Amino acid sequence: MTTILPECDIPIPQRRPHIVCHEPGNMVLPLCNIQTVPGDMTERGCTFAGCRGVVGGPVKDAIQLVHGPIGCAYYTWGTRRNLSDMKLHRKYCFSTDLTEESVIYGGAKKLLNSIIEAHELFPEGKAVFVYSTCVVGLIGDDTEAICKQASEKIGIPVVPFHCEGFRGVSQSLGHHIANRTLFEKVVGTEEPETTTPYDMCIIGEFNIDGDAWIVKPLFERMGVRVLSVFTGNASFSDIPPMHRAKLNIVQCQRSSTYIAKMINDKYGIPYINVSLFGMKQTAEALRDVGKFFHLEENAEKVIAEELARYQPEIDHYRKRLDGKKCFIYQGAPRAWHWIEPMRELGIETILTATTFGHKDDYEKIMSKVKPGHICIDNPNALEIEEYLVKLKPDFFIGGLKEKYLTYKLGIPFINGHSYEEGPYAGFEGFVNFARDIDVAVNSPVWKFVQTPYLNTGTMEVS
Amino acid sequence: MARSVTINPPKMCQPMGAILAYMGVHGCVPLVHGSQGCSTYPRYNIARHFRESAEVAVSSLAEDAAIYGGAKNLTEAIKNVKSRLNPALIGICTTCMSETIGDDVKLIAKNALVPGDAMKIIPASTPSYVGTHLTGYDNALRTLLETLAAKGEPNNKINIITGVINPGDIREIKNMLRIMNVKSIFLTDISETLDTPIMPGGHKPLLPDGGTLPSEIVDSANSLGTITLCRTAGSAAVYLKNKFNVPAVLDPAPIGVVNTDRFVQNISKLSGAPIPDEIIRERGRLIDSMVDVHHYMFGRKVAIFGDPDIVSAIVRFAAEAGMNPTVAMTATRHKDFAPDIKAVNSEYSVDTQILEGTDLYEFHKVVKTYGAELIVGNSKGKDIADDENVPLVRVGFPVYDRVGVYRYPIIGYNGSIYLLDQMTNAILGHKYDPNKLHQ
Repeated sequence: MTTILPECDIPIPQRRPHIVCHEPGNMVLPLCNIQTVPGDMTERGCTFAGCRGVVGGPVKDAIQLVHGPIGCAYYTWGTRRNLSDMKLHRKYCFSTDLTEESVIYGGAKKLLNSIIEAHELFPEGKAVFVYSTCVVGLIGDDTEAICKQASEKIGIPVVPFHCEGFRGVSQSLGHHIANRTLFEKVVGTEEPETTTPYDMCIIGEFNIDGDAWIVKPLFERMGVRVLSVFTGNASFSDIPPMHRAKLNIVQCQRSSTYIAKMINDKYGIPYINVSLFGMKQTAEALRDVGKFFHLEENAEKVIAEELARYQPEIDHYRKRLDGKKCFIYQGAPRAWHWIEPMRELGIETILTATTFGHKDDYEKIMSKVKPGHICIDNPNALEIEEYLVKLKPDFFIGGLKEKYLTYKLGIPFINGHSYEEGPYAGFEGFVNFARDIDVAVNSPVWKFVQTPYLNTGTMEVS
Repeated sequence: MARSVTINPPKMCQPMGAILAYMGVHGCVPLVHGSQGCSTYPRYNIARHFRESAEVAVSSLAEDAAIYGGAKNLTEAIKNVKSRLNPALIGICTTCMSETIGDDVKLIAKNALVPGDAMKIIPASTPSYVGTHLTGYDNALRTLLETLAAKGEPNNKINIITGVINPGDIREIKNMLRIMNVKSIFLTDISETLDTPIMPGGHKPLLPDGGTLPSEIVDSANSLGTITLCRTAGSAAVYLKNKFNVPAVLDPAPIGVVNTDRFVQNISKLSGAPIPDEIIRERGRLIDSMVDVHHYMFGRKVAIFGDPDIVSAIVRFAAEAGMNPTVAMTATRHKDFAPDIKAVNSEYSVDTQILEGTDLYEFHKVVKTYGAELIVGNSKGKDIADDENVPLVRVGFPVYDRVGVYRYPIIGYNGSIYLLDQMTNAILGHKYDPNKLHQ
């Protein structure tokens, strides 16, 4: 038996199959992608979060209009660090701000007027994305019809996303809805101005803290033309011609494999999975792409240049971090993207957890970790605390909600969702990542957590 | 504002405020009855403002609840929170989803308890499509009192209703009451629960130390009176007055000279405590700080946005300091907001524009028309301040792009000194001729 029931979960034994200890030869994957146990203090978010926050949100010149009461719009206003070179999508928050009257009589008219007004006030918006929240699904506004009507009136695409928060079990369904909606309604609606034999899309790269600005030029230096990044720093106009790529690469394989697969199924464009984190994995991704386009030499040249520049810095940090142990808790893919890069710094990941991982995410984790590794699906606050106290990692890579809990336990922390001082992707980004781990682990602040007092409250006299 | 679309709203939904009210109660676990985003987003917002973790449970409603109702999820959630955390209270916040599907939360909560249960459930109704985060705070606090407050022996204490203010503000009010030797019950008190220490060995309690004790909430029915720091959270004071004859004083937030004078006099009146010299000395330091800066600040145009009690009190204080408050904006409507500002306009011959129930897009337009050399508000004012090339003094909730704002008071005489110094330093630090600052 390799599943574990931590002490805090004794009253909720249904958590047991979600927590496993890795035993080679007797591999059990955590039970995943099912409903959360109500009241278990989950860290999960909702379908709206996956759709608006992760996949749709980064499109920089779309008016991101949230159809619902005010909260959902407010909480997604500029929060996720999906940077762009245009201010519209992070500076402005658009909402229909539904009130009781709309809940009773419907929000259709308010939505239609909101779309038209937002377009008039922000003509720089090249499309309007309309996200439905819980209440819209319950009152049954026909957002498809309203968006169609609005689009005819204002002359730009108006895209409805049916991402009510209560649908599905986590953010994950929201990713899928965003992928499907953009594929069905946008991809293929326009042809690229020109094509080349070296056209490629980078899929599942959201430009967190500038990641896309690091990785895109790597491929361009190889001679690849990046047709679109889906959806980091993307313009709306980058999405329609995605079907004319010769190859797609997928970085976030949880949130975005859907669209790569749909493009493959409909247009026959192959896709390959990549990990653009760490020196070795990034180099491997460049080699894979080089091989596909027969640009092997170019790939090796870029890799050599990057390694010459950044490997010495990584070696420096390895000396300072060698032998450390860490926890990684991420949405899903970064939990396995980062296991190998940590080893490049001499760090072993002793616990991984994901908020909304599916079976394939856990297979990837298990293929990378050592015996005794603990893996948790959809961990809750109490489980995280129990394992932090029990296993005392040297640091924890998680998200903002876990950050201050970890600090109170006297454990260093790195925000892996939005990063501390990113970008973290690619060769150059990995140096930032290593530096931030070094800052966290080797800060003098931790030595003060323990007091010099004896129990009596007096100073210890040496 | 004749728009349908809301652009840049400085307001959140009811569960956000309700969670804050519950987090100020010792041993109370907030439980959101809704989709998972309805707990995750407020938690995120609390984490980034207070730089603290906020543990909030959620009933994780999904599609089946939309069809069959959420009773099963809520019952299971209550059971699981109880068995794992054994809290004194579970504070329920409803959401747009649970309210729209029509769950009878009071009944579900009642059925979830077994006879003789020590744990109490607070079944607040906080639909996200009504009001704002302040409505949610008000509803949760009133429901806490409706559920717990009970007549007993007079306790010789004063109830202080805090509202959405910071730990630093609460500590300052406690300090004033200590100086005046007045005993109090804070409804509710986040000064410890959302400003927690890192303790030796990283030892941390399961639920945070501090907060108002449930027994104090029970006892609030026996107090000498209730004073609000924020009138938006005042329905609990009205409830105590109507139900238990506890006198209610719903006055402006004690920011600036006159409002803090009123607060001190209210405390003195209700408790019978004299106003000690130390309070008069604190007041004197505020006046001294205003005298020190009046040449810098006279006539300075300031635009203020945020929650209504805080905004109208800062408008008054700005006028007291000789500044020219040009725009006062709040997204939460409140009956006292416009009268407060109009009174300042007439007393100080200023012409503060009143924006109520609107958004920051509108605020920005009005700021452009009426001018501002300084903006006072939360972090959402940053882009406007940058566009207008003026400084932003950060107050209110949330402030996530500066550290420590929650630690310092802007309330009381000391808090007002700190706020005025911040405003003055912002002016001095922004395009002020340094040659004029040597003496």
